Amino acid sequence: MADLIQLLLNGLSTGAVYALFALGYTLVFSVLGVINFAHGAVFTLGAYFTFLLIGGAVGANGLLAGFQLPFALPFWLALLLAGVAAAVVSLLIEHIAFRPLRERGADPLLALITSLGAGVVLVNLIQLLVGAESYAIPTSALAGLPAAIRLFGAQVRTVQLLLLAVAAVLLVALSLWIDGSRSGKALRAVAEDASTAQLLGIPSGRMIQIAFGLSGFLAGIAGGLVGLSVSIAGPYFGIGYGLKGLGVLVLGGLGSVPGAVLGGLIIGIAEACVPAELSGYRDVVAYGFLFVVLLLRPQGLLGRVLPTKV
Amino acid sequence: MNRRRLRPWLIGVLGSLAAGTTLVGCSRQPSDVLQLGGAIALTGNASLLGQDARTGLEIAQQHYGQQQPQLKLVIEDTGSDEASATQAFRRLINNRVVAILGPSLSQQGFAVMPMAERAGIPVIGISTTAPGIPEIGRFVTRVASPVTVIAPRSLAKAIELTPRIKRVAVFFAQDDVFCSSESTIFQKAIGAKGLELVSLQRTSISDTDFQIPISNALRSRPDLIVISALPSDGGNLVRQLRELGYTGPIVAGNGMNTPNIFPVCQKHCDGLLITQAYNPARKNPSNTVLLQQFRRGRSADAVPPQVTAQAFSAYQVVHEALARVKANLPKGTTLISLPESDLRQQLLSTLLAMQFQTPLGEIRFTPEGEVIQKDFSVARVSMSPDGRGGRFVLLK
Repeated sequence: MADLIQLLLNGLSTGAVYALFALGYTLVFSVLGVINFAHGAVFTLGAYFTFLLIGGAVGANGLLAGFQLPFALPFWLALLLAGVAAAVVSLLIEHIAFRPLRERGADPLLALITSLGAGVVLVNLIQLLVGAESYAIPTSALAGLPAAIRLFGAQVRTVQLLLLAVAAVLLVALSLWIDGSRSGKALRAVAEDASTAQLLGIPSGRMIQIAFGLSGFLAGIAGGLVGLSVSIAGPYFGIGYGLKGLGVLVLGGLGSVPGAVLGGLIIGIAEACVPAELSGYRDVVAYGFLFVVLLLRPQGLLGRVLPTKV
Repeated sequence: MNRRRLRPWLIGVLGSLAAGTTLVGCSRQPSDVLQLGGAIALTGNASLLGQDARTGLEIAQQHYGQQQPQLKLVIEDTGSDEASATQAFRRLINNRVVAILGPSLSQQGFAVMPMAERAGIPVIGISTTAPGIPEIGRFVTRVASPVTVIAPRSLAKAIELTPRIKRVAVFFAQDDVFCSSESTIFQKAIGAKGLELVSLQRTSISDTDFQIPISNALRSRPDLIVISALPSDGGNLVRQLRELGYTGPIVAGNGMNTPNIFPVCQKHCDGLLITQAYNPARKNPSNTVLLQQFRRGRSADAVPPQVTAQAFSAYQVVHEALARVKANLPKGTTLISLPESDLRQQLLSTLLAMQFQTPLGEIRFTPEGEVIQKDFSVARVSMSPDGRGGRFVLLK
């Protein structure tokens, strides 16, 4: 029984990160119908912002070698501000990589390439500024909390439980906002049909910006939390999460918020179920599962089949 | 300004730029300066190793660059994959370098060292320790001792320090050829010492979350954990092992042999056992130079990472071998006047025949290009209580 709970907790805590990541993808996809490939870079930036805001110093490499902010914030405040800073960067990406194409009526698929370009530029910029070394958010950031706790006989890291809790809170908040608020409903209207929404007086451009801002905020928060959990393993550490998040997005159903969370948790648990002797093949299991689900249900678990417009 | 008036200006500016570029491209190097290639990972997952190597190469360039024979270091980024390394080697080969130092990863070495072999350019591996590297070809050698020599030492030290060890769990990054081959050697050594391998966990160098393999491994209640990984993934693995309650000894492989793991595992790095090919206390002129130059702008007791010492040594052996070639030339002949293939051939044969006093101690080479290094030590990582600083403390 303890083994089963351990497996479940391992899967849920891993899946929570994937879900948080995929939520950001989902928001942008739902309004623009394209995937923002720069999302991984914004996630990475969120981690670096958090590190700097808690008073971390840049190492010996990079143009900012030795740089340190003159203040040090408590972790949770730093995380919040890092989320805001990441949201600003995400808005910039929308302004530079998405909006010009949209305004010229270019094929939305082209935005895949411009966002990929923006992501590559951002990652290389990070390396230029702060070097390739790893940075860690000190474990003391969660002062007073034990490194791991025992739940029903299973051992789980406290930070993983926090990730799970934050992902759950953000999901609920996002769902409430989308379903219950006026601006959330406006976002859904834009997602449904941007032109019609515009004719009905909904500022589509503003709603797209809100989607990008929120997506960046989520990425920044996820980056800071993952940085706390596993350290910031260099400027490239968002790439792996980006790929997994993409799989989660497709599994859950493109553009579906609950789907992103469900997909994340399912892939996390699927990975946790891989036996020890095949532990290096976790990705094969996760993506194999994704492949089978898509064969049976191409729209993903909670995605909708859109009727063909005539 | 309208477009018609702008166009001639633009054409003029672009034309001047093109002409300038052509002139610069055609200008020759000073006649007595040879180009030496450095192919290291400055981007991607292996850039932690590449940064250490660049530091060593740059210190060596400052020290040896102005001595005869003069060398100009040309560094190319190999990235952390084989395709980028191929491009870097192609650029260096086209640049007609006298030798290439690098690449950073054995996995890349197997892909690109044959290119240097075909071009007849000596290539000296800096941190390529996987078995089979010198066997790639006649022009391939290395200053990094093979894992077959390095790996078992830290295991033996762990058993010496904790004689009750019976059950061992092994983690290795299966997608890196160096980590896989090092782990194979560790596993053989575990068997040879009569220990029981109770868990074998395969990970990836891009992994960050190890909760699942750790839970699997800890269920088998190991007395010792042996890790073959690179700095980022390995450092994370160590941290999470400790956070999930593992308190026993940990032996880390050569891929984690850099202070760059300290920010990752922080206070949890404390106690890691790693074999060292570099001993900063070694007394010889080249190590003195390395230490002095490395400490400029750093703390007075800063210690260069092993890869920095290996990169410095790689540059040093090429420089000293070229100096010997030059000394043996007939009067009136210069290195630059030799046909390129002759020069490279003479460099290789001289390098393989010499002994060198490097920061790694005395090293020489087998006729096949394998390095023979005498001195190794096992270090225990000692971290400050707040986990912000650490050092490798050599064990006797």
